[in-house]
Amino acid sequence: MAELRRWYVAIALFVALILDGVLAYNLQTFIFHRGFSGSCWLTIIGITLISLCDDKNDADIWLCLGLGLIADLYYLGIIGIYTVAFPLICFIIQQSARFLPEVFWFRLLICLVTYLCVSAYVFLMFNMVGIIQLSFASFSRSILPNLLWCLILVLCTYWFWVKLAEEYPFLKKEYYF
Amino acid sequence: MKKFLKNKKLLTIFVLVILVLSMLSISVRLRNRRQSPFLVQKIGNDTVSIVTRVVNWPINLISNGAANVEDLFNTQAENDHLKKQVDNLAQTKARNSSLEAENTQLKQALKLKKTLTDYTIINGSVISRAADTWSDLLIIDQGSRAGVKKNMPVMAGKGVIGRVVEVNSTTSKVELITTTDKSTNKFAVEADAANGKKVHGVISVVGNNQIAFTQVVDGQKLKKGTRVYTSGMGGLSPKGLLIGTVKKTTRDTFGLSDVVEIQPAGNLNDPSVVSVIKRKVEG
Repeated sequence: MAELRRWYVAIALFVALILDGVLAYNLQTFIFHRGFSGSCWLTIIGITLISLCDDKNDADIWLCLGLGLIADLYYLGIIGIYTVAFPLICFIIQQSARFLPEVFWFRLLICLVTYLCVSAYVFLMFNMVGIIQLSFASFSRSILPNLLWCLILVLCTYWFWVKLAEEYPFLKKEYYF
Repeated sequence: MKKFLKNKKLLTIFVLVILVLSMLSISVRLRNRRQSPFLVQKIGNDTVSIVTRVVNWPINLISNGAANVEDLFNTQAENDHLKKQVDNLAQTKARNSSLEAENTQLKQALKLKKTLTDYTIINGSVISRAADTWSDLLIIDQGSRAGVKKNMPVMAGKGVIGRVVEVNSTTSKVELITTTDKSTNKFAVEADAANGKKVHGVISVVGNNQIAFTQVVDGQKLKKGTRVYTSGMGGLSPKGLLIGTVKKTTRDTFGLSDVVEIQPAGNLNDPSVVSVIKRKVEG
């Protein structure tokens, strides 16, 4: 059982990754409005909060790399979007976590900024490789819906991610043995 | 330049950016060129799709329950509407079967075995969707085992909603018709003009995710409400799949051809059950 507990974070993030697609599909009439559509990234919220709470765990970065690869291949069929974005946000947040206050409002702010940064990165990369041909105006129209979805997802899952990262840090031997 | 080359951090970041862009470009090319993904990717995608179905099950149960309750409230109005339709149905059925028989006889007389309008349908359900705003990709629960192949058109509701872009053993990815991806295969379409002639063109996306009938020479002759169908040209789609109806006609930015905005017939906003169309005549 202790062996399994070491993997709780990985299992939770994997389920979150699946839920991203399932929620995006089930809530598509609300999320993907013409002109004002947002993204549904529960995984980003999970990675951000876990990186903030468990900032000295290098294994999280490798976990994010693996998750990113799965997300890229399953949802997009190409490699280089989430494979880069997930470990990068995990690394940057872990490096800066020690300088940030550990209060809910500040963590919410970090989640909002990260969400927008990932959105901008995805938009930029898609445009660069020709998957989309959209103007910056399209991106700017997605900012508000993205912030709204991020806020909803953080409010719904904040407690869960923080508890998970604090009580069951990913593959940290000193916690389990 | 020397300073830049001596700064190891900057150099590493620069190399990483180049690597990421190369990796992306190569994988996009591979996805567009290959008929099916690599075996490892196929196995991975099919495994993840099993988990998706498990996660989807309770969520579907709740959302279907809510939809059933909503349907109950509409039952009376729907029943009245259907009663009116039933009266016409028998007549339409009889006419349809006689036309079908006549069509078969004429094809036999002309020694035609398969035509561009012949196709079979593979029904499937949407199990997931790319979570980002931009990519317009759906994941359906039918793959190569069911006979799905890359580039097959996909319908939901009354019309076409997109095209299959990747086929795994038990799942496929469908790119919606509203995608702005320039490398994707376009639908060759036609419509009947007011003077009785056929107007040909392709489906593109203009402006704010608006689909349009482009590369049209005399689009002004298309009246509002005219139905636009696939023409069967290009070797990928059968003839006669409904794309939508004409909404508005304008000129392109160069003033050379008409851009006919189309109201899509397919259910693009909430597709749950889809039909993959398998053309009988090979391209």
